[in-house]
Amino acid sequence: MNTNLVAIAAALAIAVSTIGPAIGQGMTARAAMESIARQPDAAKDIRSTLIISLALMEALTIYGLLIAFMLVAKV
Amino acid sequence: MGEGSKVIFSLFGFLDVTGEVVAMWIILAVLTVLSLIVKHNLHERPGAFQNMIETGVEYLDNFFEGLLGRKKSRQYFAFLASLFVFIIFANYSGLFPGVGMTDYVKAPTSSLSVTLGLGVATFCFLQFAGLRAGVKHYFKRFVSPMFFMLPLLLLDEFIKPASLALRLFGNVFGEETVTEELYTLLPIGVPVVMMVLSILFCALQAMVFTMLTSIYLDEATELE
Repeated sequence: MNTNLVAIAAALAIAVSTIGPAIGQGMTARAAMESIARQPDAAKDIRSTLIISLALMEALTIYGLLIAFMLVAKV
Repeated sequence: MGEGSKVIFSLFGFLDVTGEVVAMWIILAVLTVLSLIVKHNLHERPGAFQNMIETGVEYLDNFFEGLLGRKKSRQYFAFLASLFVFIIFANYSGLFPGVGMTDYVKAPTSSLSVTLGLGVATFCFLQFAGLRAGVKHYFKRFVSPMFFMLPLLLLDEFIKPASLALRLFGNVFGEETVTEELYTLLPIGVPVVMMVLSILFCALQAMVFTMLTSIYLDEATELE
């Protein structure tokens, strides 16, 4: 197999899989901050829900990262 | 993916001991000794050390109570808290100097085998807790809105612990790898940047793992 192509594939795997979750996490964080600013009393509940949703989105990037590591091992 | 862990020696000829296992033994020993020391020196008026441990336990108690409610959090506190304490120690063990540089001691959670083991433990725990809450209810949950949801919900039950394991492994392994890459780039100073971030992420990952476990637990033991 052409190792150069594998290297590019590894780079793409992590780079592309970062885009979607990053946008999603940004939107989530914005919404959470707005609601905390509007209702500071609910900050505790919002924070825990925020962390869970961020973690679930983070998982998508991590899958890309794992694939990238697997590909890098083949180079 | 993490299968680069080298076997140091074999116990009884078939139990392979790797660097991760050694690190887990050390963590278990430290935790056991800490607990025994605290247990034997309990005072009505806590000293500095007991106070510190008490604050930690109280924090965990409040954390799980906020997610599960008083009754369930008390019932399952032992498992959830041990999970949290073990994962956070395992994550932080990667930050000690020398850990991960040799084959003899490695951060346990940077190996897929360890995190998958934690995932399997969580899976068994969730099934057990669901069955204990009510056998009829346990089976009803798989066909809860409609009957044709059965394969999806069945699959979901296996994906939950697998994604927990992969998330923890990916994060810790990723951090270790980035730190290592930075170390080869410039050995002095630069890796500290990533290690400072690691201090935050390690605690966060332990929190996320237990938080999601307790949310799944809440789902599994929910009686309407």
